[in-house]
Amino acid sequence: MTPELHTIPGHRAVETLVAKLRRRQVVGSREAALETALVLRQVVSKARFSNIQQLIAVIREVGRRLAEAQPKEHSVGNTVRRVLHNVREEYNSATKGSAASSRNVYSISKFVLQGQPRKHTGGAAKSEARITLKENDPKDPDSFARALKPVLMEAIQDVLDELETVYDNVSKNAKDHIHSDEIILTIGHSKTVEAFLKSAGHYRNYTVIVAETAPSYQGHEMARSLSAAGISTFLVPDSSIFAIMSRVNKVILGAHAILANGGLFAISGSLVAATAARAHSTPVVVCAGQFKLTPLWNLYHEHGALDFADPSSVLGFEEGRLVERVDVVNPYYDYVGPELVDVFITNDGDHPPSSVYRLIKETYDDDDHEL
Amino acid sequence: MVPAPMLDVHPPVGAPNGEASSSQQKSQKQMTKAERRELQERQRAAKAAKAAANGAPSKPAAKPKESAPSGSAAKPKPNRVSDAQARPAAPAAARAAEKAKAGQAAATTDAMARTQARGLLIFSHFGLPKPVSAAKGDIHPAIVRLALQFSTFKITGANARCIATLTAFKTIIQDYVTPPNHTLSRHLMTYLSPQISHLVAARPMSVTMGNAIRQLKLEISGTDPDLPEQDAKDALCRKIDTYMRERILIADQVIQETASSKIKDGDVILTYARSSVVEKVLLDAHASGRDFSVIVVDSRPMLEGKRLAAVLSEAGIQCTYLLLPALGSVISEVSTVLVGAHSIHTNGAVYSRAGTALVAMMAKRHSVPVVVCCETYKFSETIQLDSFSKNELAPVGDLFSSFPNTKPRESLTLENQPNLEILNPLYDLTPPTCITAVVTEVGVIPPNSISSIPVALGRLL
Repeated sequence: MTPELHTIPGHRAVETLVAKLRRRQVVGSREAALETALVLRQVVSKARFSNIQQLIAVIREVGRRLAEAQPKEHSVGNTVRRVLHNVREEYNSATKGSAASSRNVYSISKFVLQGQPRKHTGGAAKSEARITLKENDPKDPDSFARALKPVLMEAIQDVLDELETVYDNVSKNAKDHIHSDEIILTIGHSKTVEAFLKSAGHYRNYTVIVAETAPSYQGHEMARSLSAAGISTFLVPDSSIFAIMSRVNKVILGAHAILANGGLFAISGSLVAATAARAHSTPVVVCAGQFKLTPLWNLYHEHGALDFADPSSVLGFEEGRLVERVDVVNPYYDYVGPELVDVFITNDGDHPPSSVYRLIKETYDDDDHEL
Repeated sequence: MVPAPMLDVHPPVGAPNGEASSSQQKSQKQMTKAERRELQERQRAAKAAKAAANGAPSKPAAKPKESAPSGSAAKPKPNRVSDAQARPAAPAAARAAEKAKAGQAAATTDAMARTQARGLLIFSHFGLPKPVSAAKGDIHPAIVRLALQFSTFKITGANARCIATLTAFKTIIQDYVTPPNHTLSRHLMTYLSPQISHLVAARPMSVTMGNAIRQLKLEISGTDPDLPEQDAKDALCRKIDTYMRERILIADQVIQETASSKIKDGDVILTYARSSVVEKVLLDAHASGRDFSVIVVDSRPMLEGKRLAAVLSEAGIQCTYLLLPALGSVISEVSTVLVGAHSIHTNGAVYSRAGTALVAMMAKRHSVPVVVCCETYKFSETIQLDSFSKNELAPVGDLFSSFPNTKPRESLTLENQPNLEILNPLYDLTPPTCITAVVTEVGVIPPNSISSIPVALGRLL
């Protein structure tokens, strides 16, 4: 059932991306998601299959390889799941009536899925492209692939389009969330948050306080970019987050991955900022694309995503002998629990943490949670 | 900050439009050295003229900073204040000569003022540390030296600053000679007050210094006028010594013993930045053979924890060092949080190095006890509700070159951009709800009992 990777067409592209992910040459969730979608498009376009199971097995194998290369870059796995979901959907609408029923196993989750009205309308629209599909045709084994591929490419293109427009779509309602004269606190340099704030800056006159977010000091970049866009910006050290929180109206965070329970992985420092916001009853807003929705739970560890960065940015070798005597902890991410978040602003509307599970049900198929 | 006077600042002959727009792009940084010098000269002249005109002492202005080529975003603030005050009084001749330059400078600063004015409002009262101005009046060399050490952050920490101040005062008192027709008890204080204001100009006075100086004033006014001068001075110096010994040094020893007895084998102690008392407590606990490890949390602007980690690891204590954003990852492993304080308010709120409040808050969320080590002479009989009503800003720039070497410097230092301002608050206020206990030399007390301590001590403060 599972094909060997080297038999998969386009495996060279897969291997290249695996290497890049492993070396952290592709960083950032959106970057990784885009690269994954591109590779999957290549794989699907070259793939030879005579039934849907074969195709899904190929995509899964590729997805597994990519996800293993960088297990903390959750958007890779999410993109694969998303593509799988879209592929199945296209297949079902193409073979409506015959093959779709075979998938209809009764479960509560399926029941919820079927209760989604827009799923049906989407399916109906696509069904115009209905083609006569014949699986496992012994005379012409490629006929199935030939007939299905155009719709599949379209489905993957949908994923790509969504990734490309994610910033615009997240920030399209920015002006409804930020009003004039507000003071916003943000940390790190999330591209989504940056786009969101800049979009709000077109309509509103407000102030952003950026915590510089040691040890990467991404806040400097953020402050530079926001002030260049004409937004009144203050740059503060992380230590003064609590001090200024009493004057902050809203905390806006970026996310690395949003988990099924409504919690999230975000750049380290997010937990401190979100907790300080909670202590001052300041709302915490998370801006993120839907490709960051991850069907995972953080059940076992406080150490964020268990991913650690270079200690030399915390305590450099210029400190001499101190370096060899002191342990240095420099995690990439914090785990921020759902109780600390008020709203997720995504490219598909605003959602409270409590409904993230539903979004995940909608976006991915249950079979794909384990790639 | 104050828009109204700024409108007057425009030179009477308005610059043509083209020039104005080109001058907007020309920031101070782009000016040639000569231009900057000219601007500085003009401002100095204007200030002198103003001082001559109303006979009032001109405010100590950030003169060296204005001409400094290093770009710091917070710079326009002091500039604007001094400009706005000085320029209307400038003599017409000087203005005519420098008309073009002044127009440019005014346009630049005004444009910046307008874009930043709104944001500035909530931070406007913080006040940046001023470079030490030339000593006004008769300032003792010991104070001049101390003021420089304060303003360049060579001496930091509430205890160190208090001890340094008292030691300097001892020298002053010994060097002091009562002028004829004056009594020491009356005149010494008038001699000391300009010295104190000179210190305060260098860096806002710490609560500890305030308490010590209040006590000193009390002693001076209580000096027996019949005592020979030298005896009176010796008596005052002895009083100062007693104060330092009893309220600071011995208090520290008692705290050290009390707090270190709370550390048990296998404990993980988390501390933030560097407190002299906490350092002593940890070293003492280690010396008495207890086996524990320490997590030192640190943050910009001062990164003082690095030195603490160095001292502790030198002594053989197992140390973990991390920056404040990583706190969330380790807080669940901690058994006690031990921090120092700059001062403690009557309601039990602790005013301490910026970041302490975050640590205490996180500890409280994870049910980790937060213990503050604080001598009773740090008690302040005021109540502060948040970190905004009183705070101090660290100077922006190279004074705290605390960025790691691994980053290229140009990516970290932000040039003087419009719309961007860098703030480095030095302190924050930890609410009493986040504090479990305060260790003082009179015992371990909960934060809500702080108000009773000065009374119990018979108002020794």
